[in-house]
Amino acid sequence: MDELKAPEAPLAPEKKAVLTRRTVLAAAAAAGAGVAAARLVALANEPTFDRVPITGTQGNNTGLDWLAPLGNEAARVSHLLRRTTFGATAEELDRAQTDGYAKTVNRLIDTTIAEPPALAGGDDASQENPLNVGALQQWWIDWMLASPTPFGERMTLFWHGHFTSDFRKVGNQYPFLYWQNLTWRKNALADLKTMLYGVTIDPAMLRYLDLGNSTAQSPNENYSRELMELFTMGPDAFTEDDVRAGAKALSGWREPRTQAMIDADIKRQQMRTGQAPKTTPKADSVKTGVFEAQRGYKGAPFTYLGESRVWNTDAVLDKILQQDATAPFIVRKLLTAFVSPTPSDPYVARLAAGYRKSRYDTKALMRDIFMSPEFTAADTYRALIKSPTEVMIHSAKALGDKTLSRLVAGQGQGMGQTLFDPPSVGGWPQNESWVSSNTMLARANFVTAAVQATKKLPSAANAHNTQIDGVMSAQTLKLLNEAADDKRRWSILLASPEFQLK
Amino acid sequence: MVASVDKIGRREFLRAGLVFGAGAAGLAAGYAAVPDVFARAIYAAKQEKVVNDKVLVMIQLAGGNDGLQTVMPLADASYRDLRPQLSKSADEALPISKDFGLNKNLVGTKKLWDDGKLAIVQGVGYPKPSFSHFDSIRVWETADPDRRQQDGWLGKTIADNYDSAGHPLVGCACGTTGIPGALRDLEATLTVVNSQQSFKWSGGDEMEKAMGALYTSTPGIYGALFDTAVTTARDTVAQLKSSAASYTPKAQYTDNPKLVYSSKNQLAAALQLAAQLIVTGTGVKVLHVTLGGFDTHYTQQQRHDDLMGYFDQAVSAFYADLAAHGMSDRVLIATWSEFGRRPKENASAGTDHGTSAPVFLMGDTVKGGLYGAAPSLSKLDTGGNLAWNVDFRSVYQEILDGHLEVDAKEVFSQSFDKLAIIRA
Repeated sequence: MDELKAPEAPLAPEKKAVLTRRTVLAAAAAAGAGVAAARLVALANEPTFDRVPITGTQGNNTGLDWLAPLGNEAARVSHLLRRTTFGATAEELDRAQTDGYAKTVNRLIDTTIAEPPALAGGDDASQENPLNVGALQQWWIDWMLASPTPFGERMTLFWHGHFTSDFRKVGNQYPFLYWQNLTWRKNALADLKTMLYGVTIDPAMLRYLDLGNSTAQSPNENYSRELMELFTMGPDAFTEDDVRAGAKALSGWREPRTQAMIDADIKRQQMRTGQAPKTTPKADSVKTGVFEAQRGYKGAPFTYLGESRVWNTDAVLDKILQQDATAPFIVRKLLTAFVSPTPSDPYVARLAAGYRKSRYDTKALMRDIFMSPEFTAADTYRALIKSPTEVMIHSAKALGDKTLSRLVAGQGQGMGQTLFDPPSVGGWPQNESWVSSNTMLARANFVTAAVQATKKLPSAANAHNTQIDGVMSAQTLKLLNEAADDKRRWSILLASPEFQLK
Repeated sequence: MVASVDKIGRREFLRAGLVFGAGAAGLAAGYAAVPDVFARAIYAAKQEKVVNDKVLVMIQLAGGNDGLQTVMPLADASYRDLRPQLSKSADEALPISKDFGLNKNLVGTKKLWDDGKLAIVQGVGYPKPSFSHFDSIRVWETADPDRRQQDGWLGKTIADNYDSAGHPLVGCACGTTGIPGALRDLEATLTVVNSQQSFKWSGGDEMEKAMGALYTSTPGIYGALFDTAVTTARDTVAQLKSSAASYTPKAQYTDNPKLVYSSKNQLAAALQLAAQLIVTGTGVKVLHVTLGGFDTHYTQQQRHDDLMGYFDQAVSAFYADLAAHGMSDRVLIATWSEFGRRPKENASAGTDHGTSAPVFLMGDTVKGGLYGAAPSLSKLDTGGNLAWNVDFRSVYQEILDGHLEVDAKEVFSQSFDKLAIIRA
């Protein structure tokens, strides 16, 4: 096995076999963009890079930060793909590197999101032929790996964690969870009003947060509360009276019925009673909730979020979009997922102002985010931890084996993320919440299994450049150099702290 | 002294790496403020190690357990009016007094009651209750209704009293993958074991050694967090291996096929692991397990009855296992949930978020009986919710002072009304 070779500068040249992080940093500090450090930033054609100030300020004498290579465009492009497209296959990386940063941003945002192939049996799920949740998970993971527009999948995953539903409550005797995934993808970059309307009348959501059973006579508060608290405004921006008023205003929706669901019902009834039911409901032609005015509120005006009027679902959503809390809440959530675990208040305010001004154009917002200086600032380098799904998809892309999707579908749980099964209506907590003894063990075990299962391992010779920008700790460097073969080198690389970060 | 050098090393290490971690841990849980890490890093040395063999097992009933379907107010005339559908369960309740009955599926729990080993504290809540799952969970986890604290009350208890560095099983969450907020504290080492079977390095020694080497002095804002987690994983794997070898369950932890909500009783598996850790002398002090699914806004009755069944089977087996190993006198089992539910049922035959609810304390050291007072169903507040009579921190205080025999005042920085539930 060769020593790691970088295109411009060999990583661990024979003459300098022992290259410790400390000596590298010392050299870098002494020489500015020094020669030794440049060896760690092997991606750079002209190895200029920012020396990141030590975080933690005083008293932090061991917490050295990663050397951010983001002064270099090629590194910025890799950084962008890590955060927006589950990493990149070799071809995706080549193309983006050729296009450069700005063009790649535009392509990610402006390309229409590709639809996945239909899930076999998805539309016809019923009591007779329930959705197979494992198949549903794998169907999505297959598409995360295969989609020509992986940014659309990353956004769909974001919304899945934001507007959550889970199969435990929604159940698998309906196509609803499958449809929800299609709806989140369809609206992934739509304006927020369109998205919120889709969320509110999404059949899986109608069931998950009980709006499908809420009537004016006895409104169910579950959706009304979470719509404001978790989906749009945050916990301190409304009152308990608003929760009750919202429930009243939103009442009247029911879940749709497909022919397959109705047929399965009839069959069950026949088996139970020995005869067909006298009347059977008609199938709905829509894949959304159905509004039944007779179950909705039809009384006098009442007050919701400070305004008294006659309310309907549309008016409720417009009212929420008029609240000052809404744009910053959504923006902060997106920034925490895409930029920094601790976005500053002015940063949030700046982007939120633009978002509101654009009438909640999510495409414009995402462009603002990726083009903001904060997105590629040195202190954002490796400031986020890849979610289990991300780290597994990144790995499968790096290993170039799409058949790993089956493994990916089965291994998320030990790391704390099972698709279609978030831990609560709040979705998955991010970043450091992914780290525990159990999850780190599970991440290592996934790597073992993935490297084992990969049919034809690609060469790992340049993986440190393509996957982790050539920026690594002394330990990682040493272990990579000591690895006897590709299998071991991939294992080290994919299990390394560098690869867990984005 | 070697041990104290280790402790200082660890503290320095955390101080170095987790300047960020504190803020981020908070952020994830929705906390806004960043604590003064430097102030806390100059903590004096730990208390003299509290030496006793007591163990605490906290069971979280996640989603907001309906207290009125758990301990039913059979004698309250308003109960059936408020709950025309759900009150049908009252016909099958297991009476524990002339006024109250346990859910029909709490059969083993009722036996503990009959044996004087179940204390039920009624009307437990806190001032200005939050109806948000997340806010109220945070209140219970940090023991702070003002929601300013970051550290979990159990994490703080561990940090204040036990030397957890290198002994990650002192505080352990079973049957989950992340550290529960109640256990979170920068100064405490915690471990998390989802399942015994999968808690090993599938890449063998080579991968374990590589992980140890890779996660050493890791740079970046997550460095210390990563390194601690990997070190803890290695320690835990080693301890679990020897623990598993010397444990044979002496009770039946089973799924009940008659329960329809889920085919698997995850609480049973988590408590079996907890029993293993306790009876094999791993030094475990504080265990946390969770049973989810209590957010019963819709067709509640079947779901809630099933959840009661899961709880009952798991806890009964756990207690029997401990008793058969001669260790039930060391272990206190306590329940918590972020809130109870609205007394008036909704149109979906479910219940919305409410306020106070009963808490169970179970074990040989408990003086069985009813504590606190059940809030009246005819004196609901303007939102139609129950009043509260006992501050949940009074229960915590009794758990710490009475059972673990550590100083609750140090953990909470204040005292609460005394409940005398644990035998002296």
